Amino acid sequence: MIALPYSKSKRHLTGIDWLVHVLNHMTIKETGAGFMSQVVIEVAGDVNTFEIGNALNTFIKKHPIVNGYFSRDINLAPYWKIPPAKKSEISLDTVTVKEGESFDVILKSLEKGVNTLFKNKREHIAFHILTGGGRSYIAMTFDHLLFDARNAEAFLNMFQKEWDGRENFGNMVFTEPAHLSRWMDKFKAGQRVNRAFIKIAGKATPRVFPLPSGKKGFKFRVLSFGRKETEAIAENAFNEAGYLMFMPYALAASVYALHEIFTGRGISSGDYVIPVSIDTRKQEEITKQLFFNHVSFFIFKAGASDAGNFQGLLKSIKEQMYTQVKSDLPGDICKASLLMRIAPASLLGRLLKLYFKGEIASFCFSYVGKTAYTSPYFMENKITNIFHMPRIPVPPGIGIFFQQSNEKLNVILSYLDGMLSKDEEEIILTSLKSRLGVE
Amino acid sequence: MDKESYKVIEESLIREVAAILSKDPGLIEPEIPLHEMGMDSLGFVELLVVIEKKFKIKLMESGLTRNDFRTIRSLSSKIGAVELSR
Repeated sequence: MIALPYSKSKRHLTGIDWLVHVLNHMTIKETGAGFMSQVVIEVAGDVNTFEIGNALNTFIKKHPIVNGYFSRDINLAPYWKIPPAKKSEISLDTVTVKEGESFDVILKSLEKGVNTLFKNKREHIAFHILTGGGRSYIAMTFDHLLFDARNAEAFLNMFQKEWDGRENFGNMVFTEPAHLSRWMDKFKAGQRVNRAFIKIAGKATPRVFPLPSGKKGFKFRVLSFGRKETEAIAENAFNEAGYLMFMPYALAASVYALHEIFTGRGISSGDYVIPVSIDTRKQEEITKQLFFNHVSFFIFKAGASDAGNFQGLLKSIKEQMYTQVKSDLPGDICKASLLMRIAPASLLGRLLKLYFKGEIASFCFSYVGKTAYTSPYFMENKITNIFHMPRIPVPPGIGIFFQQSNEKLNVILSYLDGMLSKDEEEIILTSLKSRLGVE
Repeated sequence: MDKESYKVIEESLIREVAAILSKDPGLIEPEIPLHEMGMDSLGFVELLVVIEKKFKIKLMESGLTRNDFRTIRSLSSKIGAVELSR
């Protein structure tokens, strides 16, 4: 039987989806585990893990797409093979939290979850629940092959809506054309992206941290700001960067903080190259494009000589953002990446490194605006925070992630174990807080 | 610049903001702050690029002050004032 382009059993991959497969391949090669992330919902009170497990199983069995896997058509277009409805149970482990347990201990347990390999090629989500002492954490580890950060939140939000009895999302069909036409458009976009990347890359290798040896997991630090602090940060961003310029402000603060560590280590060659993922959808499109990756990228370059001068850095980032929006670099990356789908992940990984002389970037940065999880509850429990723990592609193996939940800002530092010392970790967090104006 | 000219700028901006936010232009209120309508950094820069293309004014290098940029109405006044000073 020949599967139709809009078949319920397949969904073609976009160029960005394929790029994520490449990053996944590179990350597995370096660390033994893939390009995964974890969304953590913190709730007040203890939770009934048995009830949550049952409800999640019932919900997830309606979406066999979560157990899909990569395949190629006869014309080599890559697609996601969607199997028939799943019969096996979801992976869920539970940990009891002692009363008054420190957040560091909780974070270590959550780290274990996000650094654990999926059981097989058909598993792309797993749950870890920590409960006890009047608070709980429901963590969903997810494969970026299946979701971007906002989609993972939206998927859990859909679960909550069904739980509330407000909507039923069964029998959803997700389609994507094979994109095997308008080749000239794609080639022209590829030409523009190529020129832009060569210009950004320059002659020197970007400034990077050396990767630790051996297959390591990721470590995380989470800065959660309360409502008043978040408002103060927004006000500082406005005063220093201008109206609606939070993203450039947060990126400049991140470069500034990491620059201290590079300088402290005496790493002085090259400039900073930072890919910044951006959501290409409007808010109301999220439920229509719930699975896979709907992002593109800006690629910023921060001159090492500017990195210690915050105002200069901010000005340069704003100018680059404006130029890249004007030339539609993110749109061109989406189009050009469609051409890359023919190349196997291992080959494409090597080709990507050619631009930046064997590296990919200095660090990754992302700012996910307001959460796509809109309900104030997870099942019956009141949500107190939602944050993410992303494993960053390796290389570079380090990144800073800004995200907002319930008018609270979370800043997450994610890095490959062994890449930073405890002191360096503290310096980065202190510098970030100071730069954001909330010491 | 007369009132009618400001109105034309405002209507043009309403259409652009509606396109960026994927909303019906009829639902865009010129006095509601852009961030309350769901505009983010990326959408705002897209709007500034459109303004440069349409009105030949590059606003990214200005201070992006709240008074001038917060609403479509204030932004229309800013564009009108720049056009007037040419």
